[in-house]
Amino acid sequence: MSDKSAIEKIKEASVHLRGTLKESLKDELTGAIREDDQAVIKFHGMYQQDDRDRREERAEKKLERLYSFMIRLRLPGGFLTPEQWIAVYDIAGEHSTGVIKITSRQTLQLHGIIKSDIKPTIKAFSEAKLDSIATCGDINRNVLCSSHPKQSPIHEEVFGYADKISQLLMPKTKAYYEIWLDEEILVDKKEEEDPLYQERYLPRKFKIAIAIPPNNDVDVFANDIGLIAVIENDVLKGFNIAIGGGLSSTHGNPETYPRLATVIGFADSEEKTLKAVYEIATIQRDYGNRADRKLARLKYTLDKYGVEWFVKELETRTGFSLEPAKEFVFNSRKDFFGWDTNADGLFYYTAFVENGRILDDQNTKLKSALLAIAKTGKANFRFTCNQNVIISDVLPGAKDAIDDILTEYGINGHTENTSVIRKNSMACVAFPTCPLALAEAQRYLPSLIDKIELLLGKYSLSEEEIIIRMTGCPNGCARSYAAEIGFVGTAYGKYNMHIGGDRIGERLNKIYKENIGEEEILQSLDGLFNIYSSQKQTSETFGDFSLRQKWVTI
Amino acid sequence: MLDGRKQQILSELVNGSDRDELVWINGYISAIIHKQEVPVAVESVTVNTSPQKITLVYGTETGNSKRVATELAAKAKKNNLLVKLASLDQYRLTDITREENLFVVISTQGDGEPPVAAQKFYDHIHRNGFRLDQTRFSVLALGDTSYPMFCKTGEEVDEQLEKLGAKRIVPIRKCDVDYEPDAEAWFSEVLRSLNEQPVAKPAGIKIQPQAEAKSNKKIYTGTVVGHVNLHDTGSSKETWHIELLADEVDYLPGDSIGVVPQNPLALVNQIIELTGISNDKKSRFKEADHTVSDLLQNRLAIVYLHERIIKKYSSIVQQDIPEIKMDLLNLLQLYPVKDAAQFEEVLQVLPAQSPRIYTIASSPSAHNGEIHLTVEKDVFAVNEETKAGLCSDYLGGLSVDQTIEFFVQKNKRFRLPAPDKNVLMIGPGTGIAAFRSFISERDATGAKGKNWLFFGEEHFVSDFLYQTEIQDWYQTGVLNKVSLAFSKDQAEEIFVYDRMKEKGDEIFDWIRSGAYIYVCGQKAPMSVHVENELLSILEVHGELTKENAKKYFEQMKQEGRYSKDVY
Ligand code: SRM
Ligand SMILES: Cc1cc2nc3c(=O)[nH]c(=O)nc-3n(C[C@H](O)[C@H](O)[C@H](O)COP(=O)(O)OP(=O)(O)OC[C@H]3O[C@@H](n4cnc5c(N)ncnc54)[C@H](O)[C@@H]3O)c2cc1C
Ligand SMILES: Cc1cc2nc3c(=O)[nH]c(=O)nc-3n(C[C@H](O)[C@H](O)[C@H](O)COP(=O)(O)O)c2cc1C
Ligand code: SF4
Repeated sequence: MSDKSAIEKIKEASVHLRGTLKESLKDELTGAIREDDQAVIKFHGMYQQDDRDRREERAEKKLERLYSFMIRLRLPGGFLTPEQWIAVYDIAGEHSTGVIKITSRQTLQLHGIIKSDIKPTIKAFSEAKLDSIATCGDINRNVLCSSHPKQSPIHEEVFGYADKISQLLMPKTKAYYEIWLDEEILVDKKEEEDPLYQERYLPRKFKIAIAIPPNNDVDVFANDIGLIAVIENDVLKGFNIAIGGGLSSTHGNPETYPRLATVIGFADSEEKTLKAVYEIATIQRDYGNRADRKLARLKYTLDKYGVEWFVKELETRTGFSLEPAKEFVFNSRKDFFGWDTNADGLFYYTAFVENGRILDDQNTKLKSALLAIAKTGKANFRFTCNQNVIISDVLPGAKDAIDDILTEYGINGHTENTSVIRKNSMACVAFPTCPLALAEAQRYLPSLIDKIELLLGKYSLSEEEIIIRMTGCPNGCARSYAAEIGFVGTAYGKYNMHIGGDRIGERLNKIYKENIGEEEILQSLDGLFNIYSSQKQTSETFGDFSLRQKWVTI
Repeated sequence: MLDGRKQQILSELVNGSDRDELVWINGYISAIIHKQEVPVAVESVTVNTSPQKITLVYGTETGNSKRVATELAAKAKKNNLLVKLASLDQYRLTDITREENLFVVISTQGDGEPPVAAQKFYDHIHRNGFRLDQTRFSVLALGDTSYPMFCKTGEEVDEQLEKLGAKRIVPIRKCDVDYEPDAEAWFSEVLRSLNEQPVAKPAGIKIQPQAEAKSNKKIYTGTVVGHVNLHDTGSSKETWHIELLADEVDYLPGDSIGVVPQNPLALVNQIIELTGISNDKKSRFKEADHTVSDLLQNRLAIVYLHERIIKKYSSIVQQDIPEIKMDLLNLLQLYPVKDAAQFEEVLQVLPAQSPRIYTIASSPSAHNGEIHLTVEKDVFAVNEETKAGLCSDYLGGLSVDQTIEFFVQKNKRFRLPAPDKNVLMIGPGTGIAAFRSFISERDATGAKGKNWLFFGEEHFVSDFLYQTEIQDWYQTGVLNKVSLAFSKDQAEEIFVYDRMKEKGDEIFDWIRSGAYIYVCGQKAPMSVHVENELLSILEVHGELTKENAKKYFEQMKQEGRYSKDVY
């Protein structure tokens, strides 16, 4: 294999992520963009996709594939003002499928934007002070932070880091403004010189999350860099730093594997934390595998050179050494639904959004409800890594008004009546838009949960907070490897069933059965739940029990 | 062998002719029998010294009549006659009473209607109120035997002029699509009779050598092997790409086919029920017996009947009926026939089903043994009820393995130029059909000339007919340029001619360097706008005055560098 993958060459030739995007946009003959530009546009937060349900039929009609673009917003910590929500709502209605998707990395995606609508969409976003820079591509992605204001009195302070890190690792190129917002071409190319990304950017996507114990809602160990806030009597002391997390694997490629991040130490100040984060990225930039993208994530760099070497290299680059990691304890990975208050007495309401898809259906008009709430101007919006939404920062005086809206549109009814198992489950997008999908996920999991609910009822396990996650392929976008029961698509209608993961995201699951369909899935679960209900110790999670039973061995 | 009347006419003719004439008549008749050029003997007919004045007018839709008339005028001059040549829309109608010798070349359009350009003249002569007693005349009718109203307009003009008192010096001659030899023969007769003073034959005698001209068209049978609606779901339109398997069909890119639609079986049964006629009852049609159900489904027009037919129907059923187009079923419901027998009379007056013409979308070189069509379902509203056109609905409703019959409608005026010439094609909507044929042909034969396609429809996503093929042609370089207009994808509507305006300078460069321009598809308003746009391009970018632009454009037409296939 050559020493550089095709994508590497495209990046370097792209003149700081410009490629031939402008020409591609002009081409009237097709709704697609040029091959190379499809790699470049990701750095601008967009993916070219096509409706896979329609391929055969359109081919017969001598029509090209139904191309459209998915755009992913950059929302450090997953925060939106009411004005911004209204903007997103309008843009979704005008240019996309209308469904607003909360992702497993607490941001928003719109699907089905046709080529000629991209610029209007981005212009509209930018008027709302929103952008999609670097939400995809080989670069630092949307930075996560525990979304629950209740988590700590200093939540806001920690939350602030998400934005700082996002800014710190932003690319310097002005291509985004030039291509999408028609800002005049940069003359002084010096302004674009990028000491961090240079011309080659990173070997692969790069993800950072900040967790505030005891809740690990962000799945901090699934990230290239995980920061665990260390707080002592309401004072932020610093962060434990974990590196080398990443969940994806490739069917039939033993060299690829999901991996949880390794804690390498503690940084006791903002300056040190940011410096460490920055230099971890530069090490990955210089040592990451640029020949084989399947082995290019930081986790493989780390395992290739060893943690010890990495920590040394980091010391030489930062000029300081990390302190030994501080104690930390996680006890959950979930969202706390319904009303609650934070330290400053502000109210917030966490609403259940099945697989993060915000739309209006017969009984729950979530999309309209959120719009109505936004229009009151009395609440902000925060998105969780479990694909749910928090209506937050509500003053006591405004709570009732908001609550009336939630009732009127059937939101709190819906949230309360949803089973525990469903609330703790998550699925990725998969069909019809995801080009990598092998099996259904968000379109299928709801009906599978219906049946699983019955099984749990049968063994009176309905109150168990078991975490079920499904992905349409082994990339693990809904973190199916970090679930107590994970389903990983292998072929249409077929899944590998994984069990044995823990509840707090510190232990991955293992394959229990390969390539099985619904019938076998339900049969297996029936058997497992039966034994679990009769032999579990009090408060023994399903994940831990699976291990004790040696159903799988870690 | 000949019936008494013909016998009589013939002997009259023979007796009244000298030797030379007999020789010529002999050659003339054999020419008709063998369908070959008519002997030119007539050219040498000795003409008398005082030159006669003749007026030669033509009514044309697609230019054939004009072409014929112009050639004949030239020939007349050779025979030193003073010729006034005029298109019927230019001709001053009040002059007609003063004409001594009036010769009319006129085609038939629609289902038996005059060309648009001849409508005024047609109406004028039907408005009586004047006499043409000192006018001598003859009519050359252009038509097509595949249409039930063969040369209808010519016949009507011929009868009408006679009614007005004009003297028919040569019987009407009806020409099929290969009109040249008949036209020659007719005019030779005209020249001859002009030289006989005074008018030899008493008016009213008709010699019609090919009076009931048989269709000389080959009927092919095609098996549907492909049938798909090219529009994606969500489109307001239905355009069917139809692939027919039919061997050895003799056609060229630019040709069309004619299809006689089938009437819906349900409707036929309804009619049979209503009239109580037994469906296997035999009835006569074009010298052959057919069952009633066969007639009603495959051979006769039964919907949207012409006023003419309504009139005939009303006289059969002895009821007065408003003369508006109507369906047979409505007639039978509102003004019932008294019994099955009377319905048989009605069958006799129903017109034969008109063939519908569809431009061939395939190329002989590229799609061996197949004929492809691009058929848009013609949808229209009749007082709130949406209806579909008979033939387009029939074709759209076909399914694979069904067969249909068709004939080839040659289109000599719409041909690809030499391989090295550049071609500019403007074909929005189903107009793309001809150009799918052109481009496929040029692709298959490796023609070196450049190709530029203008296409338009409503929406890019759902209505881009043949998108993937057009993309391939562009990528492989057969198509050098493609300009698209999707009218409903933005606030203000954009059409092909707007794109032409944008590209005016380039289009003019192509024209100046000898490019051939073709327009196919909707006649109005599309082709009208396109033509106006071309004229203004000549004005603006060719820096020509209005007049000179027109001249230039006419010049292009003469050189065959501007052709259209519009409907
Ligand atoms: C929307 C989202 C799933 C969801 O339902 O929420 C998602 C959707 C996609 N992911 Fe993902 N990933 C999403 C979170 C994840 C996660 C979970 C996480 O980060 O916490 C993972 C596993 C963690 C990790 O990165 O290891 C993940 C690992 C991948 C991978 C595998 C990366 C690798 O290391 O091999 C791919 C494929 C790739 O990058 O080649 C991928 C690629 C994709 C693409 C863009 C498919 C593609 O490359 O064309 C999917 C778009 C589908 C669509 O139509 O929207 N996605 N993806 C999540 C968006 C997160 C965000 O806002 O940025
Ligand atoms: C040279 C040439 C080439 C052509 N090429 C193509 C081609 O490539 N593709 C293509 O799609 N078409 C083509 N056409 C048009 C085609 O021949 C037909 O005219 C068209 O398909 C409509 O025929 P139809 O039998 O479906 O509609 P018809 O039944 O003949 O109806 C035609 C029109 O008559 C009127 N009408 C009919 N019935 C009623 C009623 N009951 N009440 C009120 N009004 C009524 C409506 O205005 C209707 O639009 C071409 C035409 C010509 C002359
Ligand atoms: C749409 C259409 C309808 C026609 N209808 C008839 C018809 O009813 N009867 C007929 O004899 N010929 C019919 N024709 C054939 C034309 O009269 C024939 O092509 C003739 O050569 C045209 O002469 P022009 O170019 O001078 O108009 C029709 C042709 C077209 C294109
Ligand atoms: S897990 Fe696979 S199928 Fe699901 S969204 Fe990610 S890439 Fe697509």
